[in-house]
Amino acid sequence: MIRSKARYRLIALGAVFALVLVACGGSSSKKSGSTTPTTPTTAPLGQPASGTLVLAAEQEPSCSDWIASCAGLSWGVWTMQEHTMPSAFDIVKDGSGWNYAPSILLAGAPTLTTSPSQVVTYKINPAAVWSDGVPITSADFKYTWDQIANGKDVYSKTGYENIASVDDTDPSTAVVTFKPNQSYGPWRSLFGSDYGVWPSHILAGKNRDAMTKNGYAWSGGPWKIAKWNRGVDVTLIPNDKYWGEKAKISKVIFKFIPDTAAQFKAFQTGEVLGVYPQPQPDSVDLIKKGLPNAKSAYTADTGSIEALWMNNAKAPLDSVPVRQAVAYAIDRDAIVARLFGVLGVTKASQSLNPPITAQYGDQQAWAGYSLNLAKVAELLTGDGWAKGSDGIYAKGGKKLSLTIVTTAGNQRRELTEQILQEQLKAAGIEMKIKNQSADQLFGTTLVKGTFQLSLYAQTNTNLDPGLCVIMCSANIPAKANSNSGQNFTRTGIPALDPLLQTVDSSSDNALRAQNQIQADRLMAQNQVTLPLDPLPNIAIWSDKIQGNLSDNPITAMFWNMNTWQLRG
Amino acid sequence: MLSFLGRRVLFTIPVVLIASFVLFIFVRATFDPTAQLRSSHADSASVAREKERLGLDRPVVVQYGDWLGKFVHGDWGQSERTREPVFGMIRRALWYTVQLIFWGILLSATVSIFVGVYSAVKQYSPLDYTFTGLAFVGLALPPFWFGLIAIEFLAVQPVNWFHLQEPIFSFVGLHSGDSTGFNLDYVRHLALPVLTLTVQIIASWSRFQRAAMLDVLQSDYIRTARAKGVPRRQVIVKHGLRNALIPLVTVMALDIGALFGGLIITETIFSIPGMGRLFYESLLAGDATVLVAWTVVTALFIVAFNLLADVLYGVLDPRVRMA
Repeated sequence: MIRSKARYRLIALGAVFALVLVACGGSSSKKSGSTTPTTPTTAPLGQPASGTLVLAAEQEPSCSDWIASCAGLSWGVWTMQEHTMPSAFDIVKDGSGWNYAPSILLAGAPTLTTSPSQVVTYKINPAAVWSDGVPITSADFKYTWDQIANGKDVYSKTGYENIASVDDTDPSTAVVTFKPNQSYGPWRSLFGSDYGVWPSHILAGKNRDAMTKNGYAWSGGPWKIAKWNRGVDVTLIPNDKYWGEKAKISKVIFKFIPDTAAQFKAFQTGEVLGVYPQPQPDSVDLIKKGLPNAKSAYTADTGSIEALWMNNAKAPLDSVPVRQAVAYAIDRDAIVARLFGVLGVTKASQSLNPPITAQYGDQQAWAGYSLNLAKVAELLTGDGWAKGSDGIYAKGGKKLSLTIVTTAGNQRRELTEQILQEQLKAAGIEMKIKNQSADQLFGTTLVKGTFQLSLYAQTNTNLDPGLCVIMCSANIPAKANSNSGQNFTRTGIPALDPLLQTVDSSSDNALRAQNQIQADRLMAQNQVTLPLDPLPNIAIWSDKIQGNLSDNPITAMFWNMNTWQLRG
Repeated sequence: MLSFLGRRVLFTIPVVLIASFVLFIFVRATFDPTAQLRSSHADSASVAREKERLGLDRPVVVQYGDWLGKFVHGDWGQSERTREPVFGMIRRALWYTVQLIFWGILLSATVSIFVGVYSAVKQYSPLDYTFTGLAFVGLALPPFWFGLIAIEFLAVQPVNWFHLQEPIFSFVGLHSGDSTGFNLDYVRHLALPVLTLTVQIIASWSRFQRAAMLDVLQSDYIRTARAKGVPRRQVIVKHGLRNALIPLVTVMALDIGALFGGLIITETIFSIPGMGRLFYESLLAGDATVLVAWTVVTALFIVAFNLLADVLYGVLDPRVRMA
């Protein structure tokens, strides 16, 4: 009996010892055939691709048919699309701002003519080939345009609908002609950004969606999708036919880790070597505490603006003085400092243009709206409101009570709501919180206009200004636009529409900027909504990754992954 | 025995039908299968066409009948979020959840029975008090908290304390990188989620087992066996444990059924794409087709394991079969 007990103890001790031994010696698990991402096999700089890099991905894309409406998540672009789809333009740092630069898909900058119709001529780099060795040609541009402009269930047809034809007579030259009077200012975002250029020789005449929604083997970028293990990870391997700088790591695995805390812990243990988390209070707090062996980049120079969106058509926010009073009741800098002060972001946004399109707008348009309780009292009293015994303004027996809605479960937004609630109460305005799922908010509430205040971010996926889609009166959801308009705030200022339409259609950047600045000032004057904060991007990576790692507002920290290397 | 089994199975059929009908109505009333299409700026004609295709323009009872017919033939529709066949999505998620449940139940049953029997046999001993105290602590530990604590102290901190090259236990998914199958890597990934899953179960089952064992040990036939000189080990294991297991087996079967849909937090913390995470993601996206199938499959498991509990009870205790 005693011997038997001793044997069991010995076995248990042995098992624990074995686990510790395995943990201490990274090479032992390699022998058993399992991958060890935390101890990547690395090669000296300049050697052929080697090593396995594991990165965290916060969300899993729903599908990889980038043209279809199921492919709306940015993580789809960051994990697969930008690494496998050739794109006409890259988004590069240009001095202090971001700009378009012709990519290596092109033989040079495209030529643009604007009269009588807008025509863009793309010369394709003769070295550009798909991963099967077939050259990328103008037929691919034509196929891409046709699929987007004429397809069903397309994520967005913006810009492609304006194109009348794509001439593919010369395989090395794609001539894109826009419809008369339908010129498109942000033309550089076409055949790039979200969609890229698609291989007609593989997909023409076939069901594109069926062939691509769960991943695809072909590539026109530095990486190929080796495997998409739904719910678990996606693996990329180098595309050896890529005509640009070839990938230096033999395998990149994006692990889907939806929980932010788990992402950070995985980074701390070396299970993943890079994270790109949402700027939530949890992640900001963890950064404040410090992460070992980590390098990072935080920037507020992004494509996102979080704002307090106001329903201009719903009482009492249909009154300009009430909207202005709300703006004067809020200390926006205090909110931003509380949310992102640790990252060095302390100032509120003063424009609805995200920082990456700053050169087009008046980035100080809302600067006049700062905390001023005397101004709140003056505006509300002037509009017929009087403070009640409970300290809340009322008019005609009705309290100045507003309800805010945002995406339930988002810590940052819930914290913002709590701060807003306190600040507004101090100014005599009651605010109730009634959050919903993202699906309900964006699918129903905003479309139907059954809200007063809403808190969410507007994100640009290109470098062009484009507020018409959310501010022009023609885009208020209505029967006329099949309820597909995105002017959820129901902003309807007649003088604003032509300004924003010009910004969308003109290819003269100076004219676009001039109109956008006027539009910004008009919107601020009417206080159509209240910009709060630029959402910072947070990129954190292990010092085991070498290369020029930095953030890109559109393609995230992964934009130049083919140039990265791993050190032992 | 066969007629007992037949009766139980027959009773199950209306339960399944009623449950599936109620769940179908509930999901249809709460989520709109065309919401995704509408939010992708489709025109009203497209939405109307989609409603017609999905049969949403028909009475809900007709919709249910149509859905049930397809469901039993394995056609569970297509996810509005991922465009994948729902059958495949649920099968894939079930595989991950089944792995967690299998190992979790194996560990829980082993530990709980051992602890329960020991506590009953050595009632009021220091170890019994220790187990009792630990059981109450275990019952009070919320899985989301325990999971994060387990990650911190069993995975993250040991790397710093012992300067390890990699953590002893991993906590992202069930394998690292390209590793597959049953190997050491799998065990290292499985340890923490299984521990998180089992803490509350062990706490609860061990208390149950202790109470059942105490009841049995105080019964007349055990006294008789002891009086007849049956060895102590044989009295405890053969006569005591065998009978004390009957109520535990019932509780186990009921708990296992509920686990198929109840691991949302564990699966999210440990990035395991099982049934819980599928539900959570589908709920956030308002993916009605997945939600209908998910709720019905989960209900089916609960009903099936209830049936199993009934049958096992009948097998273990002949008096139940006679009733």
